[in-house]
Amino acid sequence: MDELIYKLKQEIIEALNLEDMTPEDIDENASLFGEGLGLDSIDALELIVLMEKNYGIKLQDPTQGKEIFKSVKVMAEFIQKNRTK
Amino acid sequence: MTNKEIYVLSAKQISIQQPLSEEWMTNPTLYDVPFSRSIDPSFKEYVSPIEARRMGKILKRALATSKEALKESGLETVDAIVTGTGYGCIENTEFFLDALSKEGEQLLKPTYFMQSTHNTISSLIAIQTKNHGYNATYAHKGISFDSALYDAYLQFKLNKINSALVGGHDEMTETFYHILRKGGVMGFDNEICGEAAISVVLSDKQENALCKLAGHKIIHQQGIDSLKEKVANFLQENGKTCSDIDLILTGISGYKENDEAYLSETKTLFGDRPLLKYKNLFGESFTASGIGFYVAAQCLKSGFVPKHLFVNEKDITDKKPNNILIFNRSDGTNYSLTLLEK
Repeated sequence: MDELIYKLKQEIIEALNLEDMTPEDIDENASLFGEGLGLDSIDALELIVLMEKNYGIKLQDPTQGKEIFKSVKVMAEFIQKNRTK
Repeated sequence: MTNKEIYVLSAKQISIQQPLSEEWMTNPTLYDVPFSRSIDPSFKEYVSPIEARRMGKILKRALATSKEALKESGLETVDAIVTGTGYGCIENTEFFLDALSKEGEQLLKPTYFMQSTHNTISSLIAIQTKNHGYNATYAHKGISFDSALYDAYLQFKLNKINSALVGGHDEMTETFYHILRKGGVMGFDNEICGEAAISVVLSDKQENALCKLAGHKIIHQQGIDSLKEKVANFLQENGKTCSDIDLILTGISGYKENDEAYLSETKTLFGDRPLLKYKNLFGESFTASGIGFYVAAQCLKSGFVPKHLFVNEKDITDKKPNNILIFNRSDGTNYSLTLLEK
């Protein structure tokens, strides 16, 4: 799981163009939206594209996003359970 | 039109020379490659990584040069923000098209699409500097910076503004460079293709100014005789004759065809006045003339013209220039004249 979390942080940095950040700068338990990393709805779209492109996960219910994107750790757990590639 | 005077309070650049610095005057970075990207400063000082995530390099550079130019000018805000860009956010456009061609329409990233438009430059600077004044972006290829400058110049003269932030910003990716070269646009012989980000603050107040913007004109012309007449009119309007001009800053770049045209036309228009160049250091780009403006302003402020700017060795002198005329030629039909005075 730790390996996936680290890889996911790298992918988030690349997908969201967080050029001056490193995986170490992202707390895996911190909220991705709001007070944590401070992402917004456009970033949510980027993360949906990332999950489909890199892990073959297509979100059927958009409201799921609120729960899945709670933190990097929660996102990694969801990916591990549902990935098709 | 009023006789309102316009002064250049500050001028900042990010290019293939050391960024936000005048090190090029004494210790220039030299290139033996046909294409190079800009040397970037750390952008963390100007914008947080989270805010910067939706900004391509062109926007970060525009923001950094603008904030530095405003800081040096001592002005907290300006009446107008006007920028010029030949091709705008070309890198994000390229990312978007690349993804479209490789992966189809299903998995396109929204950010690249949003940030691939030209108008994001002036508006971003306005948002970041909390400016609610006049805001415009000009996209006119090789005279983009000149067009932005002309807009600001006219608004000063019409007494509509007392200060302005004028910029010229262009990116050059490797793919774009190859396309331009293939299309016969630039990148031939000894010409270096680079990137340019330039921001200048203009004001009607003279205090601590680098120099004065005495005149500016854009000319669309196809014949040398008519061009000669318009250049003579421009000089006359500014109370000058050819012999009053100390230095002519040209776009001589190392591309034989371009350089021959410059040499021939300047000979006809200005006789044997000393010629300068800057593209040998800063490279060719669509807003290179903005860099020319910056170079001329810094030379007038410091009273020092580096030897490596002179086109002909015989003209090299330690004499402090009182004025520099920037002669920009684009596509052989569009010209701009910008007269800067001490």
